[in-house]
Amino acid sequence: MPDRPALQLDGVTKRFGGLAVSDNISFEVPSGARTALIGPNGAGKTTLFNLVSGVYKVDGGRILLDGEAIHQLPPRRRVRAGLSRSFQNIRLMPHLSVIENIMLGQLTLASGPRSLLAPLAWQRRSQWRLQAETSMRSAGIDVDPDASVNGLPYGVRKKIEVVRALMSRPRLLMLDEPAAGLNPRETAELSAFLKSVAWDGLTMLVVEHDMSFVHDLCEHTVVLNFGRLIYDGPTRSVQDDAEVRAAYLGNRRVASNGGERAA
Amino acid sequence: MNAVSSVTKSRRDLFGPAIAAAVVCTLVAAAIGIGGIVIARQVVSGLLLGAIYMTVAVAFTLTIGVLNFLNFTIPTMFMLTGMAAWGLLSSGYLAFASRGAWLVALLFGVAVAVVASLIVERFTFRYLKMRHGDATEHAIPLVSSLGFLMIFENLVILSMGSDSQRFAVPFKSDLHIAGLIIGAPQLASFVLAVAVVALLSFVLKRTKIGRALRTIAENPDTASLLGVDVGRVVPVVFILAGLLAGVAGALFTVNYGDVSPLMGDNVGTKAIAAMILGGIGSIWGAIAGGLVVGLAETLSIQFFGGDSVSMTVWGLVLVIMIVRPKGLFGGATIGKGKM
Amino acid sequence: MSGYLAGTTAILCINLIFAYGIFVTAASGQINLGGAGFQAIGGYATGWLTSEAQWPMGLSIVAAVAITALVGFLISFPVLRTRGVYMVLATFAFGEVVAGFLLHTDTFGGAMGMVVPFHIGLGILVLSALVVTLLTFYLMATRLGLTMRAINDDEDASVVMGVNVRAVQVAAFTIGGAFTGLSGALYALNFGFIEAQYFNSLLSIYVLLFVLIGGVQTAWGPLAGSLFFTLLPELFRVGGSWRYLIFGVVIVVMMMLRPEGIVTRSMIRRLSPRRLFARPALGSADAR
Repeated sequence: MPDRPALQLDGVTKRFGGLAVSDNISFEVPSGARTALIGPNGAGKTTLFNLVSGVYKVDGGRILLDGEAIHQLPPRRRVRAGLSRSFQNIRLMPHLSVIENIMLGQLTLASGPRSLLAPLAWQRRSQWRLQAETSMRSAGIDVDPDASVNGLPYGVRKKIEVVRALMSRPRLLMLDEPAAGLNPRETAELSAFLKSVAWDGLTMLVVEHDMSFVHDLCEHTVVLNFGRLIYDGPTRSVQDDAEVRAAYLGNRRVASNGGERAA
Repeated sequence: MNAVSSVTKSRRDLFGPAIAAAVVCTLVAAAIGIGGIVIARQVVSGLLLGAIYMTVAVAFTLTIGVLNFLNFTIPTMFMLTGMAAWGLLSSGYLAFASRGAWLVALLFGVAVAVVASLIVERFTFRYLKMRHGDATEHAIPLVSSLGFLMIFENLVILSMGSDSQRFAVPFKSDLHIAGLIIGAPQLASFVLAVAVVALLSFVLKRTKIGRALRTIAENPDTASLLGVDVGRVVPVVFILAGLLAGVAGALFTVNYGDVSPLMGDNVGTKAIAAMILGGIGSIWGAIAGGLVVGLAETLSIQFFGGDSVSMTVWGLVLVIMIVRPKGLFGGATIGKGKM
Repeated sequence: MSGYLAGTTAILCINLIFAYGIFVTAASGQINLGGAGFQAIGGYATGWLTSEAQWPMGLSIVAAVAITALVGFLISFPVLRTRGVYMVLATFAFGEVVAGFLLHTDTFGGAMGMVVPFHIGLGILVLSALVVTLLTFYLMATRLGLTMRAINDDEDASVVMGVNVRAVQVAAFTIGGAFTGLSGALYALNFGFIEAQYFNSLLSIYVLLFVLIGGVQTAWGPLAGSLFFTLLPELFRVGGSWRYLIFGVVIVVMMMLRPEGIVTRSMIRRLSPRRLFARPALGSADAR
């Protein structure tokens, strides 16, 4: 059993103006497991992602990746330390092809001068390209790798974004609503794919609203409400927690495994 | 904080410019003290030239501040005013106006500048479609304005030739103050330029349209959601820019008496220098920058000779960009590009 | 080859190298409107080294390229604090500072210009243009080129994906400086005479137009732009002002209808021989 948590938040606080969007948040993401980060809209889930990935600076507290403090590092150093994320609104590079977007994710592994200066686009059977193509196929992306990402269906583009995030063989993979907008078949595919991507020590932190997806994929759940942590424990017990139910009250009930979808 | 609205917030950031103003005044006083009347004359003509640069610089800075658009047709509109005025004057159609013909011609020139400005708006800005944008997308209107620069400049050359022309203003009344001879047109020009710019800052501060402009400057993506009729307000920027450039062109024509299809190029470059010196997006900055550039030009010619102007002016710009990149009056600017 | 044709080809080669210098930074989202300043540094460095310091031609060219590359590297630090319109103005200011300095300084001939004692022939110009073109295609095919394009598309997302944006942009300015400096060196040696008035903002604007109209998405852009701007006037067989008037109209129309430029990535994709002869993959978007 790995001892150190993959991610540790210690009193993390972020304020916009007078409002504490993240309020003294402390939790641990256990290594090698998949953890869900849920909460009503506006709870501060994407903000938390932005704090961990370095888009925002913390106003207080610490963030540790594998025991190493990263909250003062620039984003690229965090990626180098093993962090990777996808975006809620898809941020693929519009003028890059499918395979080029995916290969962009390999940058951390391919940052030496030889890798940087090899004519990647001309080496169609290079290890990088083959690796990217393999990952594509195993995620169920069946389009021409050299096609433009524009004009592809939403579900396919979401998958490309997830695959791109995986290419750096991260220590911690952060997925921001990976199933949003996917139909049930695509959602099941994604869940199966994520479960299959299980190299040693890969930890996942997933923001999601689709509770059946969460129940299926993540053993552990953390719940935010108004920027504060209100639950940190096993997924199967989350719907029994009184405070969580109160937070969601008025929307829809937190669904159990196999039940209806939550907001 | 938007620098176009820096007119209202100028109190906060006056330390730097105050120092600069003090330095400049001291230097000028010293120069006059050393050089006497000759230098004083250069200061006067420098201020006049500066008033013209300032007006064009304000046009540039307004368009950048509100629309994030570096509009290279602004110096062209400056030129169109002079050339159109000359064209009308020399065509003989204004014989009826006799002594006032020059004024009618100049007003016509300014009108031409405004119309040209609206043409640019119609075929540049209104056509801008944000597609799958990349970082060079902001240059689309810039390139378009370069195209229009070529169109207007060469239309003028083809119809009126590329030579420089005389534009005679038929009156001469000079003021004699302490050994300085200041022409009435010079004084009137200075006052007019200052008035136009003051009027602009009033419009921005106090009127509804001014508020709309500042809203667009601060919220380029959501201005229409905030209640601004973007389709009707954006042309106002172009009209204002055309007016400013046109007035500057008219003043230049009256005071220097020469017009040519290339008269915009030189002034345009200096106005850009003035804008950078003063702080891009700041009206006060354009004012200060314009006057500084004008003074720098005439004093530089006096002390270092004719070829030194570029180096002096752009040397100053270089110093500012190193020491205070935001410019003398520069605050934080809003828009897709930031300094 | 007729004198006229030789002259046109020489200018085309020099402008093409210049254009690639601007392209390299534009491809990663940075617009350089001070290219003439870099070209001037390359030209004057070559001129001075060959005439005053009596260096051999080849060495002078190498030194000129190294100097401009260094200038590109150094200037990138202040310039990269700006973005968008502000960067255009910052680079424009750089170009004017260089031109103003050269105009005023007598060491470099001032307003009278400088005579360059050697002459290089068309062969070297064409060869150099070819080398620079191939180098740029190569650069854009590397992972470095990929990150440049990513930065152009979405700088913020690139940062979060681990791209060292600053390093890539500095590299782009350095390489761009080197190419532009080379064009200046070759210009000086081909023309035999350089003067500060030549390296003005109109020249910077002109070459920037080549690049933006040609298209910054692929390395074909500068080729397309240079050919377009050199050959179009020949097509109309008009001179002087008519030529520029037509340019102006074409530019305005292009920005309205096809602002991404003549050559786009999707165009290249469609024309790629692989695509023309390959079978569409199962379930792919192109299977018809």
